[in-house]
Amino acid sequence: MATDKTNLQLVVNGILNENPIFRLVLSMCPAVGISTTVMNGFMLGTAVLFVQVCSSCTISLFKNVIHPRIRIPTYTLTIATWVTVIDMVLAAYLPEAYAKMGIFIKLIVAFAIITMRLEMFASKESVNASFWDGIGMGLGFMLGMVALGFVRELLGMGTLLGYDVLGFKPLLFFVLPLAGFFCVGLMMAFFNYIEIVYKRAKRA
Amino acid sequence: MKNILTIIFRLTVACLLAGLVMGVAFVATNKAKKHNIHVNEQKVMLSLLGYSAKNPAPESVAMHEVYRYLVGEGEDLAMGYLLPLRDGSFSFVTIDLTGGFVAQTPVTISTEKAAETDERTQAIGAAIGVDKALRYADQTIVVTNDGKRMAYLLPGRFSGFKTFISAILALDQNFTILGLEIMEHEEDPGLGGEIVQDYFKNQFKGKPLETVKKLEVVKTPLPEEYLKALEAEKRGQMGAEEVARIEGQYKDNDIYALTGATISSRSVTNGVKGMVKKFAYRLAILDRVLVEQHIATPF
Repeated sequence: MATDKTNLQLVVNGILNENPIFRLVLSMCPAVGISTTVMNGFMLGTAVLFVQVCSSCTISLFKNVIHPRIRIPTYTLTIATWVTVIDMVLAAYLPEAYAKMGIFIKLIVAFAIITMRLEMFASKESVNASFWDGIGMGLGFMLGMVALGFVRELLGMGTLLGYDVLGFKPLLFFVLPLAGFFCVGLMMAFFNYIEIVYKRAKRA
Repeated sequence: MKNILTIIFRLTVACLLAGLVMGVAFVATNKAKKHNIHVNEQKVMLSLLGYSAKNPAPESVAMHEVYRYLVGEGEDLAMGYLLPLRDGSFSFVTIDLTGGFVAQTPVTISTEKAAETDERTQAIGAAIGVDKALRYADQTIVVTNDGKRMAYLLPGRFSGFKTFISAILALDQNFTILGLEIMEHEEDPGLGGEIVQDYFKNQFKGKPLETVKKLEVVKTPLPEEYLKALEAEKRGQMGAEEVARIEGQYKDNDIYALTGATISSRSVTNGVKGMVKKFAYRLAILDRVLVEQHIATPF
């Protein structure tokens, strides 16, 4: 069962139709916990992008030899391996980036979105399609995190990327994990509304 | 039955493969990683002492490493210090728990090798006899300027919210905190992770021993002028004199907790408190022994 989508469609699918945060509602713990600033969201998004692409390709490559009854442990093992390898390589050769990203990379092992993509997509599709799907999902996650971070950083701390833009803190509440849920919910409603308006306009 | 065997076999192979990949990556990157950590530590230590690329440390400044060990002999436990001597050799001084001098043993090891934990422990073990249990505790760096003590650098580890936080603490000769730098931590980004920010870690700067001994965490908001002073380096709006004046004003205050991360704030505060208190206590004992036994150290 091969996908009939082109590479570009796969990427766009991950960003829009099946956005991990606003559509699939997966990996909510990190989305809520970490998207406190734009930079944090971007860092975690980048880390997820790397791991998702590497894991998707690996699983797609070995899909015929993975026993169906132990596929989940195998996926977890694959993700853990890639997380560890990326962690070590960054620490060794890009210490500057590692100082900023190291803490995010270690968090990824238990991300639902990656396991789910391996199960739903990579274990059935070709390596090429899995690669582009991984890119789409990673980008979708990253953009979702950045969007959440944008709202929460602006409302919670009055800053953007660490620069003071408002000069005061409108709602400190938005930085706390609890507000992450409100934020996800409100933004999900907003995106759904845009979709409805768009579809209506198309039909008319 | 056959199914189970296949599953076991495939899972084992998968684990072995994963282990192999990780092992290869580890071997390939470990040396570079260690080197990076070392370079970074040196840079941090110099910056804690107030030196940077623009303002390099003068030739007269020297760092002397002192390694502390726990020495067990049967039921007895003692403290051992590997000290550099003035003539370039090393000596291992054992002190019992009540502060009494036990023994001084010369250790043959080169300065480069003394920096490697395994080789150092082996050399000490060979010098004091293999029947004693030896455990590495920590290291202290005594910084001297023209042979006079200038500062102490304490790399240390204490427990944080989830796992250990490792940090380097710089103290002047009166045990007043010169600065704190968090080296490694796994606190939650955006919450406990804020311990690395200037507005938190700089709060420790300038606190004298007496204040540190009873340092607590308070949950009142950080005053605006203090925040500006703490972040002066980043914001660059405030002159050095102004910063010193405001920091001096707050030097006997408690630590202002991070929003949403009281546990992390408290962990760091207690960790620093413990490091300073224990160090001041141990150093007094070590210094007394050094004077009594006429041990000639370069500091």
